[in-house]
Amino acid sequence: MATVAERAPGSGRWPSLVPYVVLALGTLPIALLYAWLLYSSFFLRVEGFTPIGPFTLENWRFLWDPLSVPELRNRPPIIPLTINTFIFATVTSLVGVLISSMAGYAFSRLRFKGRRMMLGGVLLLHSFPSVTLLIALFVVLRTLGLYDKLAGVILVQTAFALPFGIWIMKGFFDNVPWDLEMSALVDGAGRLRTWWRIMLPLVKPGLLALTVLLFVEGWNQFLLPFVFMPSGSQQTLSTLVRGILGEGRFVDYGLLTAVGLYYIAPVLALFVFAQDQLMRIYAGGVKG
Amino acid sequence: MRVALRGLTKKFGEVVGVHELDLEIRSGEFVALLGPSGCGKTTTLLMVAGIYRPTSGQIFFGDRRIDHLLPKERGIGMVFQSYALYPHMTVAENIGFPLELRRSVSNEERERRVREAAALVQVDALLDRRPAQLSGGQQQRVALARALVKRPDILLLDEPLSNLDARLRHEMRGEIKRLQKEVGITAIFVTHDQLEALTMADRVALMRDGVLQAYATPTELYARPVNQFVAEFIGTPPMNFFAADLAPRNGSLVARTEGIELALPAGPRGAKAPPTATVGIRPEHLAIVAPGQGEASGEVYVVEPMGREQIVDVQVGERRLRVIAPPGFVAKIGERVGLRFAPEQLHLFDPASGARLA
Repeated sequence: MATVAERAPGSGRWPSLVPYVVLALGTLPIALLYAWLLYSSFFLRVEGFTPIGPFTLENWRFLWDPLSVPELRNRPPIIPLTINTFIFATVTSLVGVLISSMAGYAFSRLRFKGRRMMLGGVLLLHSFPSVTLLIALFVVLRTLGLYDKLAGVILVQTAFALPFGIWIMKGFFDNVPWDLEMSALVDGAGRLRTWWRIMLPLVKPGLLALTVLLFVEGWNQFLLPFVFMPSGSQQTLSTLVRGILGEGRFVDYGLLTAVGLYYIAPVLALFVFAQDQLMRIYAGGVKG
Repeated sequence: MRVALRGLTKKFGEVVGVHELDLEIRSGEFVALLGPSGCGKTTTLLMVAGIYRPTSGQIFFGDRRIDHLLPKERGIGMVFQSYALYPHMTVAENIGFPLELRRSVSNEERERRVREAAALVQVDALLDRRPAQLSGGQQQRVALARALVKRPDILLLDEPLSNLDARLRHEMRGEIKRLQKEVGITAIFVTHDQLEALTMADRVALMRDGVLQAYATPTELYARPVNQFVAEFIGTPPMNFFAADLAPRNGSLVARTEGIELALPAGPRGAKAPPTATVGIRPEHLAIVAPGQGEASGEVYVVEPMGREQIVDVQVGERRLRVIAPPGFVAKIGERVGLRFAPEQLHLFDPASGARLA
C-alpha cells in the first residue's frame, strides 16, 4: 500500500508494463498458431513453422475450381454449403432472439404462476450438456420427419440457444425502469405496443449483442449438423472441415488451413464490427 | 372532473398499503397526498392511475366508476418521479406519444398539439433534443407537456419536484401551481415534503400507515391540526410537545410541568378535562424574554442563525424547546432566558390517542 502511495506520478512506468509482458507471453502460442494458420494456407507445405516452396494460391483453388480438389470431389460444392451455414446461423439467431426477447420480457415483468420454477428450469437447461440429449432428439426429429433436414437442426440449435438468450434478455429488461412502462400504459399504450415501442428499443444493445452471439454460435456449431444431417446434401462448413480432416490417411494441411480460414473469416469480421455491442452484453443496462 | 375515492383499500399480501380511504376532490382542485415514506400515498396515486388494482373500494371520476378500467381508458395524464421520458425518442416524439396512440388524431393535428403543449411549458425550442440532452428542469417540463397533450381530465404527479435541486424546485413549485390553475385541470400530487404540499395544494390529504389522518386546506392543517401526528408533520421547524398536568383554577385550566406553568385560555370543551395532556406549541409562537418573565425559564442550549431568523433551542428542565428568534437576538450558550407562550396558539392532545382536545 505504501509503495503505491509513495510512487510519484510518471516515475512508475516499468512496473505497469509487467502485466502486459506476462499476458503477451501467455497469449503468444495462440497468436503463433493463428499466424501459422494464415501463412500455411499460402504454401504447399509447411514443416514446423517453416514454409517450404514458393508462395501459392493453390490451396485456395477450392473457391474457383472445386472439382480439382480430390477431398472435395464427393462432397457438396462449397458455395451451397456456405449458404446453408449462413441460413442455419441466421435463422437460429433471429428466431432465438425473437423468442428470447418475448420470454425474457415475460420473466422480467409478469408475475405468473410457476415463474420461479420456470426460471430455475431455464438455468438448469442452460447448464445441461447437449450431448446427453442426442438420442432423445434423434427420436423426436425422426417422429417429426425432420431428421436429416436443415429445418430440424435449426429447431434443435434454436432450442439449445434459448436458455442463454432468455436469461440475457431478462437481465436487460430488468434494467429498464418500471416507470417507463407505467408511463406508456398511462399514455394509452397496451402491453404489446409498450413492448414493441418502448421496451424493445431500450434493450436494443442486448438484442444486437445476442443476435451476434447466437449467429456465431450457429456458425461454429459442429455436433448438431454432424449428427442430425448425415447424408451431406445440407451439410454446413463445420462438417466439411471435419470431413477434410478425417478423410483417408493423408491430410492436406494446406487445403485444411485454407478452408479453415475461409470458415472463420465471417466470424472474425463480425467480431470486428460488433465488438462494441458484444461488450455491452456483459456490462448490461440501458443508457438513459 | 370530480374525483371520489370510496373505501379504497390495497393489500400487498398481508401488508396493508392503503386502508379504507375516503377522499373527495372537487373539479379543478389541486390536492396533495402527503405523508412519510411508506404511508400509502404513491399506492393511492397508482390506483387512481390504474397501475394498481384496488383490493376493495371504488374510484369515481365524475359519476363514472372507473376502478375496473385500464389506465388508457381513464383519461389521465401522469408525471412520474423519474419523469419516465422515453430515452430513445426526441422531445417532440415523447410529447406526441400519447397522441400517436389515438387514431382520431391526424398527423397535422398531432404536430400542432405537440407544439402547443411544448409552448405551454416553454420547451418549444428543445423539440429535437433527446431526454439525455436536457437538464432536470427541462425534463420535468417535457414530462408535464406529455401528460397534458392529450387533454386529460385528471393530472397525476408523483413526487414531481424531488429530483430537482433546491433552486429549481422553488421555481417549478410556482410553475406547476400556475399551470394547474391556467389549464383548470383536476390534479393530484404526491409528496413527502410538507412545504411542497402547503405551498402548492388547495387541500392536503395527510396519510400515515395507509390511513388518512387529515384532509384540509394548508391553513387549517397548520392552525388547527386534528391530531398530534398532523401537528408534528406540518410546519418547520416542527412543533414542540411536552406532557403536562391539567388542573382547574379560577374556572379555567392550568397546564403545569417542570419549569412551565401555563394558563389555558379555553380549556377542553364539553365533559370534564383529563388529568394530563400533551401540550404543543410551534417554535414561531414562543418568544424569548428576560429571565424571570414569561411562562417558563431555561438556558440557551444552541443557536442556529438562518438569516431571516434564528432557531434557538432552550433547555427547560428535562426538555428542550425550539424557539424562533428575530435575527437581532444575541445569546451565549448557557445563558438564562424566559419564554413567553402565545396563549391562543397552544394545542392540546390526548396523551394516549394523540387526538386533539382543544
